[in-house]
Amino acid sequence: MRNHSFLALVLALAATVAGAAPPPNLVRPPGTHAEDTCTACHMALDDARLRTPAKLTDNDIHHAQGVTCAGCHGGDPTSEDAAVAMNTAKGFKGKFSHQAIPEMCGSCHSDASFMLRYAPNVPTDQLAQYRTSKHGQALAKGDTNVAICSSCHGAHGVLAVNDARSTVYPTRIVDTCGRCHGDAVLMGHYGIKGNEIAEYKQSAHYAALVTKNDLSAPTCKSCHGAHGATPPGVSSVSNICGTCHVTQRERFDLSPHKDAFAALSQPACESCHSNHAIVHPQDSWIGVGKDQTCGSCHSAGDSGATAATAILAALSGASKGLGGTQQRVDRVQLAGMLMDEAEVKLEDAHQAFIMAQVEIHTVNPSRVEEKTKAVLASTGAAERLAASAETEIRYRRTGLFVSLVVIALAMVTLIFKIRGMER
Amino acid sequence: MRIFDRLWQALDGRLELAPLVDFATHKVVPQHRHSWAYYFGGLTLFFFIVQVATGILLLLYYRPTSEAAFESVQFIVTRVPFGWLIRSVHSWSANLMVLAAFAHMFSVYLLGSYAKPRELTWWSGFALLVLAMGFGFSGYLLPWNELAFFATRVGTDMVSKVPLIGGWLLKFLRGGEEVTGATLTRFFGFHVAVLPMITTTLLATHLAFIQRQGMHVPEGLEEEAATRRPLRFAPNFMMREGVVWLAGLAALAALAAFFPWELGSKADPFASAPAGIKPEWYFLFMFEALKLLPAHVLGIEGELVGLGAFSLAGLVWFLVPVLDRGSRIGHRSRAFLALGWLALAYIVVFTLASMAGAFK
Repeated sequence: MRNHSFLALVLALAATVAGAAPPPNLVRPPGTHAEDTCTACHMALDDARLRTPAKLTDNDIHHAQGVTCAGCHGGDPTSEDAAVAMNTAKGFKGKFSHQAIPEMCGSCHSDASFMLRYAPNVPTDQLAQYRTSKHGQALAKGDTNVAICSSCHGAHGVLAVNDARSTVYPTRIVDTCGRCHGDAVLMGHYGIKGNEIAEYKQSAHYAALVTKNDLSAPTCKSCHGAHGATPPGVSSVSNICGTCHVTQRERFDLSPHKDAFAALSQPACESCHSNHAIVHPQDSWIGVGKDQTCGSCHSAGDSGATAATAILAALSGASKGLGGTQQRVDRVQLAGMLMDEAEVKLEDAHQAFIMAQVEIHTVNPSRVEEKTKAVLASTGAAERLAASAETEIRYRRTGLFVSLVVIALAMVTLIFKIRGMER
Repeated sequence: MRIFDRLWQALDGRLELAPLVDFATHKVVPQHRHSWAYYFGGLTLFFFIVQVATGILLLLYYRPTSEAAFESVQFIVTRVPFGWLIRSVHSWSANLMVLAAFAHMFSVYLLGSYAKPRELTWWSGFALLVLAMGFGFSGYLLPWNELAFFATRVGTDMVSKVPLIGGWLLKFLRGGEEVTGATLTRFFGFHVAVLPMITTTLLATHLAFIQRQGMHVPEGLEEEAATRRPLRFAPNFMMREGVVWLAGLAALAALAAFFPWELGSKADPFASAPAGIKPEWYFLFMFEALKLLPAHVLGIEGELVGLGAFSLAGLVWFLVPVLDRGSRIGHRSRAFLALGWLALAYIVVFTLASMAGAFK
């Protein structure tokens, strides 16, 4: 008997080392639905607490991919006898404690050879990342208020991350994080304000996400990480923003602000743009006056204020020119002229204006002026096209007037002729 | 003048034209309080002539492929000298032609001019109106812009509802399952070859009938027409018609110069349909009515019921010279007169309401 047990242990170890498939009664081949005696019995139970998990399995990605209830909870799903099926001797674990869940999920999700069954490039570092996260670290210290896998993904009825109904889908993840991070009382225990979600919802990022349905717009996890969620440190803020705003970051690195901010231990982007409530920047922010951004460090007369004044003047001139030309081109278009070429020039001007705004990050007025000159060159070309179209409109209207006079004369002549004939 | 006299003698000697001139100079047009109605047919003819002339000019530059159609129209209106005017006049004249044709048809109907012996004139006129609408529908797609593309998709889709042959008709019109470059080429063919050929033949027949039978004097106005001196067709009526044509020309010039026809943006078959797709205004009364119908009427698809009803109404309208039996002996039915006013009111109200956005 002892020899048999030893042999079984050796075989089990060998199977594990070789990455062999788990027992088919626990995890069936991918794509096979995992209905069994567990779901059949639980579905028929009166106690909603026990019935609900079974009902949720219909949409659950694990069940759809052949992972049975016993795949996580253990036990013997081949037996219809509850005493056998849910016998601890058969490995039945029942309900997991809060602290046990990450390890339990990780037992499959961290196993690269096992996860390969489902997709060739599925990540398997979630548990490792989680352990480094604020959540994971607090859990390790015994804090059971922190988020675990099921807090965000759900326990039963887990949906694929790219399923629009999933709680971690880009458009829904903000509210998922907000379930805890929007609770100021709970967050108070961790020294977090709890208004971050509300602030984020005022941001340009959130607007892009929900109004333009831009799924690439940053959400909580884009900056903080998903499984390894942690607040970015001062030095890493520009790295994070720079992953999307590459050009702005490059220009910032060229500026004297880079070293100055580092010396003051100030976060780079956040100092001017804030963090969660990032709105579309306005040119009017540039300056040292009241409510102007540069004024938080610079004051009138210093080199920063002089540069800000020059940058603002260049941008205002370009913006005014762009607005005026756009109005003129629109007016000509309303009069029925095709202004496609002028629209192309205006588009060039818009692009150059955006580049001028990006150059602000160098805080070098001559670099900004170089771009605003390109704006004015394009608006100038559009103005010339609009002027030529206006001349054409005048020519057409004069031609129309002359034609109408000729037609009217012909009509009057005919009418007189008819009267003369019929008199 | 001697040259003209000699030319005339040479032609008359060979073709015996004198009886024709004699016919024209002796032909008269009766005068009564509704003789204004006689000018609408001529006005429709004027716009048709403008369409032929401007259409030929557009053909010089237009390219009927999905890759080049939009760009070629853009080239016409931006680069070709007076191309903007020709394109704008063509589009406006098309609409004014349909409007004049509707006015002509309703005046003929309401004055009872369809009655025996003018049934053939009525039927050829009805066919000409259908052809004009066919011109409008096929021409609408040719600039290959976004609105026209989607409107054509909706319009041709309706054809698929026709029982039994719907699927075949759809493929015939589209040149496949979807509106593509094949549809454009085919519509171009209809627009510049098939429809003009049939229309010209039918128009010549329609005009020949009118010349042969003379103008109809509406019921109840015979006495007035008898007491008033009739107009000689040539040159008096023709000169009056000339004044109307000049007024039409002035309207065309003003509309083309002040409201140049829009080109819109190029059709993108992969883009989602833009909001507010509408067909040309003369299809609006049918389009809006079909939209108002519920999805199912007595278990039959609503759109199919609507199309069936319009087909039936069209058939009644077509057969009115036969159905209105009294009209044959000069006593037209009051019910058919009421039907005419009802149809006119329905078309006017639905078209204007749709243009005003009442059905949004």
